[in-house]
Amino acid sequence: MANVTISSLSGPQKLALGWLSALVVAAIVAPYLPLPYPPAVPDLTQITQPPSGAAKHWLGTDPQGRDVLSNLLFGARTAVLLTLPAAVLAAGLGALAGGAAGFWGNSGRPALRYWLLGLTAGGWLLAGPPPTAGWVAALATLGGALVLATRRARPGWPFPLDSLVQGTATALDTVPRLVLVVALAAVAGEVSLLGLVTLFTLTSWPHPARLVQAQMLRVRALPFVEAARAAGMTEGRVWLYHALPHAVQPLRTVLPLSMAGLLSLESTLSFLGIGLPPDVASWGRSLAAVRYAPAAWWVFVFPAACLAITLMSLSSLTKQQANSR
Amino acid sequence: MAGSLVWRLIRTALGVWGLVSAVFLLSRHDANTAVRLVLPDPASLSQSGIGADSTARRTAQAATRRRLGLDLPLFYVTWSGASPAGAARWQWHGPRNQYHQWAKGALCGELGTSFRTGQEVTAQLREALAITLPFTGTAALLAVGLALLLAQQLAARPWWQRPAQAALVALHAMPLFVIALLLLLLFANPEVLTWFPTYGFDQPLDPESSAWHNVFDYGAHLVLPVAALTLTVLPELTLQLHAALHQELRADYAMTARAKGLSEKRVIRRHALRNALLPTLTQVAELLPTLVAGAVVVEVVFALPGMGRLLAEASAARDYPVLVGGVLLTGAARLLALLLADLLYLWADPRIRWQT
Repeated sequence: MANVTISSLSGPQKLALGWLSALVVAAIVAPYLPLPYPPAVPDLTQITQPPSGAAKHWLGTDPQGRDVLSNLLFGARTAVLLTLPAAVLAAGLGALAGGAAGFWGNSGRPALRYWLLGLTAGGWLLAGPPPTAGWVAALATLGGALVLATRRARPGWPFPLDSLVQGTATALDTVPRLVLVVALAAVAGEVSLLGLVTLFTLTSWPHPARLVQAQMLRVRALPFVEAARAAGMTEGRVWLYHALPHAVQPLRTVLPLSMAGLLSLESTLSFLGIGLPPDVASWGRSLAAVRYAPAAWWVFVFPAACLAITLMSLSSLTKQQANSR
Repeated sequence: MAGSLVWRLIRTALGVWGLVSAVFLLSRHDANTAVRLVLPDPASLSQSGIGADSTARRTAQAATRRRLGLDLPLFYVTWSGASPAGAARWQWHGPRNQYHQWAKGALCGELGTSFRTGQEVTAQLREALAITLPFTGTAALLAVGLALLLAQQLAARPWWQRPAQAALVALHAMPLFVIALLLLLLFANPEVLTWFPTYGFDQPLDPESSAWHNVFDYGAHLVLPVAALTLTVLPELTLQLHAALHQELRADYAMTARAKGLSEKRVIRRHALRNALLPTLTQVAELLPTLVAGAVVVEVVFALPGMGRLLAEASAARDYPVLVGGVLLTGAARLLALLLADLLYLWADPRIRWQT
């Protein structure tokens, strides 16, 4: 997003950016605001009250007596804390996996010491650290790796990295993300915010990975990569410092869109009552309450408007970047 | 063509199997929760006097485990961590394990029995599909038909392109559950308009009323769900088709057709549309899985006892056999959609037919 300046944005996009910044600010300051009622704490004396200043429920209460305004602010906090890290982490994971898969393909030959390290780490993970044998193996591997590192690295066997990444991405893509997350959330039981971020990251990396992989196939054939190799750089450095920065360009355009997708997924999950524990405020959960009081327009209108404006802002930012490229 | 099609299908099938196996193994990994949820509360047990001695409770737990098939080892090999000698051990179980039994059943079309109700999972899925398939199928056909119509109209009348596109983009940004809730609150709400019934789809049919009345009732219940699903799928299809059509209409052959004196409508219908369809066909492969996911939301909102609600309820109750069966069925829908999209390609693009 480095080359996007304020002046290059059109009017609606400035509005969109302003709304999103306001949302982030609201998410940060929400716990410090002097709100008359905390979120998710029912005020049972005032159920389904319309918006009024008399009882200090500025935007009314829902059928469970929860304050709509507090739920809106803390819902914004949940949305920002969930979608921003998840989108960035998924993009990062996708860039690493897709970038490596595109650069080395199926014929990358990791040096012998990486094979040794990988095998030992894998065995360690599967077997758990047994008292003595594990330490001996670890020390031996470390020593061996150091010895091998001082000499010129000898390539080992080819590693089918591309097939591995593509196969995992295909497997994750066969089922819609909503169904997959619903199934996995049941396996994990009650998920915390951090757990849901992990779940979202692990299920949404295939798309960025595909984009970066396709771009990497183009980048790795460019002359400057060859020049970097000719200058005597190791493959890892060429990949990290020269090829990868160019291969991640397509991700800049899709980041707002992937955030919109994650926000919509999160609110749908909360609406269904799956995933986040019930005391975490979320726009989707606020919207679910309207089914018990169909006449209470204020329970529906405010969270739905927030959700719609946020999603439209994100999608309008995507369009601008697509045009600017 | 045939070779690449078969290869793609095999790869997707392997992907589906891998994913379902992963979900199965992950879900069974933590079998204690499922057993605890199936057994009654310890609190209520202690009132009836059984929970007082823990041996009776442990026996009940073991019996439940055996009934649910959870007493077998999980996979072909398992790791027994805390062996008395302190040394790590791998154990080989052979085909007597949960995964093997499940996989053998799944290949024969048996998906086990539900933890919660004790019914056959296949029977439950079939029952739910009988409700889900009609309305998702209608929504899919409606969405494709409307998208074709709308894209042609948009291309023929440039002056309403901008407002229509803006509306479609806005609609595309909305999550399905907001649209469904909005429809529910506007058209099935005693406070606003009560045009359609909301609940009571699963009530038994009234034998007194005529067959026409029953059919009408069935239709009235499904209008809003179909509308919600169609509205969410429509924008993407239309926007994509419109973009493709716009590009095709600027091509040389379209200009030739216009120079021959054809009307704009005929140029679109006879010349540009088929070419514009090609990139859109890929989206048909996405359509079926999207509708399955959409059914989860729509069925919860409109209280339809279908596939989606089965999945959502199984997820809440940790009914793992139903959940794994549902994921497997969704993957199968994806396979079917891929096959369908390829057949459509074959129909739409004569170049592919001539190659083979």
